[in-house]
Amino acid sequence: MATLPTYALAALFLPLFPLSIVFNRGLSALRRDWMRALVLLVWPQAGVWILSHAHGAPPGWLNVWAALTALLYAYRALAVREAGIWIGFVAVSAWALLWADPARSHLLAIQALGLSLPLAVAVLVTGVLERRFGAAHTALRLGLATTAPRLAALFVIAILAVVATPVFSNFFVLVAAVARQAPVMPAMALTVLAVWILWAWSGARLVRGMVAGPGRPAAGADLTPAAAWAYAVLFVGLAGAGISVGGLLL
Amino acid sequence: MDALILGIVVAPLLSAALTQLLSGRLGRRVARISIVGLSATFAGSLLLFALTLAHPGDRTLSLGGDWGILLIDPLSVVMAMVVSGISLIVHLYSRRYMAEEPGYARFFVLLDLMTAVLLTMVAAGGLVTLLIAWHLVGVLLYLLLGQETRSTSAYRYAFWTMFTFRLGDLPMVLAAALLHDAFHTWSLTRIFAALAAHPQTTTLGGLPLATVAAALVALSAFARSAQFFTHTWLPYTMGGPTPVSALMHAGIVNAGGFLINRFAPVFVQAGGVLHGIFVVGLITAIAGSVLMLAQNDVKKALGYSTMGQMGFMIMECGVGAFSLAIYHLIAHGVFKGTLFLGSGGVIGEARKDDRVPKDDLYTFVVERKPARQRRPWLLMAAITLAVPAVILFLAHYLVERHFFEQEGAVVLLFFGWITGAQLIFATYRMRSENRVRLFALILVSFTVVVVGYTLVAHSFDLFLYPDPAFRARIYGAAGIGLLSFDLLTVLVTGVIVAGWLVAFYGDQRRLYDRAWVGGLRRRFFTAMARELYVADIYGRIGRRLLAGAERLNTTLGGW
Repeated sequence: MATLPTYALAALFLPLFPLSIVFNRGLSALRRDWMRALVLLVWPQAGVWILSHAHGAPPGWLNVWAALTALLYAYRALAVREAGIWIGFVAVSAWALLWADPARSHLLAIQALGLSLPLAVAVLVTGVLERRFGAAHTALRLGLATTAPRLAALFVIAILAVVATPVFSNFFVLVAAVARQAPVMPAMALTVLAVWILWAWSGARLVRGMVAGPGRPAAGADLTPAAAWAYAVLFVGLAGAGISVGGLLL
Repeated sequence: MDALILGIVVAPLLSAALTQLLSGRLGRRVARISIVGLSATFAGSLLLFALTLAHPGDRTLSLGGDWGILLIDPLSVVMAMVVSGISLIVHLYSRRYMAEEPGYARFFVLLDLMTAVLLTMVAAGGLVTLLIAWHLVGVLLYLLLGQETRSTSAYRYAFWTMFTFRLGDLPMVLAAALLHDAFHTWSLTRIFAALAAHPQTTTLGGLPLATVAAALVALSAFARSAQFFTHTWLPYTMGGPTPVSALMHAGIVNAGGFLINRFAPVFVQAGGVLHGIFVVGLITAIAGSVLMLAQNDVKKALGYSTMGQMGFMIMECGVGAFSLAIYHLIAHGVFKGTLFLGSGGVIGEARKDDRVPKDDLYTFVVERKPARQRRPWLLMAAITLAVPAVILFLAHYLVERHFFEQEGAVVLLFFGWITGAQLIFATYRMRSENRVRLFALILVSFTVVVVGYTLVAHSFDLFLYPDPAFRARIYGAAGIGLLSFDLLTVLVTGVIVAGWLVAFYGDQRRLYDRAWVGGLRRRFFTAMARELYVADIYGRIGRRLLAGAERLNTTLGGW
């Protein structure tokens, strides 16, 4: 496959700015949660597949571009108040980090999966919020912890998973990325760390906007105990998958 | 012993799960599960301590792969006992204290999880295990501080804590990456052995690996232990529930001292970093103490008091007194935990009657007006300087004769001497009906404290670092050369004596009544009351960054 067109195509699926608009617009256009989750899982895998068919490692300037894209979207996520858009921005930011790690291309698919899994689960949780409250936006001042405590707990865990909290899979992907890049490309390792801290900051802002503050308990707003347990099991599975990914990468 | 350490870590996890599962059925009684779980953990920790005393030697337990490792060594055993003990007390206290609060079961679940994570942290035998636990402490503290979910300000300050902790996590990730790259293992014991065998190993840019890794680990320790410039989270997190404040001040903020001890084999190869640690600790100790005195809010003052103590603990590490730092963090943890847990009752009683007799002691301590009787002051000055020195030297001479050969020990002795002198000087300035009795009591207390401190610190040294050669190497690494040391000692003595003289003559000649001195004092006090504007600067930077992100999003739209 010709190298430059291959990279251009890969830049669509492991989105680099400005091609990232395709993914962001596409994700926003999808109405069903499961479709969004599926896209979050499959989209980067297509990019990995394309990248694996390119000849040689991506040129240095492309790595710089990818690092800047990761930083740009992590920074933009700080000011995002809508959970769905925030997940999209974090996804672009996360997948862009994969560009700088061509040496272990045989594990790239697992790394991409590790980054996508928490995003896919989070999008399912925000879908529940959107159905019950019309939107998952901080401007609604939901005070979820009072309005719907079970949903609030799941939302907090989902956000924590997205911002690469141990023992979710993206934590291990980031640690592995820093471990490989710090000795050879310290600037790239520092970029990963900067992106990581920006995610944590933006995630905490979202949690504060959605969960904290006064709210009125409303009948039917919260999940049923059975549904909450189903999601809890999903998160336990996600943590288990995280440890497995950690075992493979570290 | 392997099963025991695993049980100690797993028991709080199990009690967290059971507390959550049975909270609907048991209501407020669910706290008992949590308390039983913690009691078992504490009993297990005591048993582990006894077994370690009976069968010395380090052991590791692999939970899978190279990175899931638990380590049983004197440090982890002592820390497990401290963590589980303090956590049990906090659990017992919270059972009634939190009874009227919403989210009762959630609170105990989080408390159990925090205990499990802290125990994992102190027993971590692999870098990844340590990273996981280190990171999770910040996350769980964020959730505990945000227990009052209706309060957005609680979340705001909880976020400050989490953000500072996250900033502190990052250097440790880098340190782990560089150590792993050099020795191809995540196991701490293997890394330490390899580093001891190849101390000249280099890393980025040909820099010594030990120095770079030690500096990064030190940065992580600074953020966790609220060292100056990373301290702003500590005084502002007092809005959280009192048991959380107690746990935070007794068992979390002092993790920096633990971390430096855990990486002691790296720090012995990095003397320069130890000197830097000393300077940071010194600045923090001074800044924390001064800021504490300028606060009107009692809880904030307690926060700054902890900051000052943490500065001193880090300073102890900087002079090579690693085991003393562990003793300090335990003593401070128990002391500060007691203060926090007792604060509610004290405030409640003080609202009815402060019970403070308006005598000379009150005017001296509260109104800061010393009694004006200072004869014979020359004799008192001599006693002030001589008595603490004699007690300190004798205590150390009896416990460990070679102590004086270590520079770090001399620094601590010097500090003890100055503190003791200050104490006796203060006594002299107080008026009392029976001055001899008062003076004798203070002298006896000082002697008991010094001898006790020396004995316990020496025992800690022997237990935590049984190898005398390694102990000597730690002090050796922290040394700065005899001439530099002597010059510094003379300089510091000069500064302190000059300070005393300025205070004395200033008071005698009413220097403080002059306008320019008054203006200077007011400006100084304002700066201190505003906490040196550090929080303001951080707040402004944060707002600028957020405004920039908003502008960017407005410009780029859906891109």
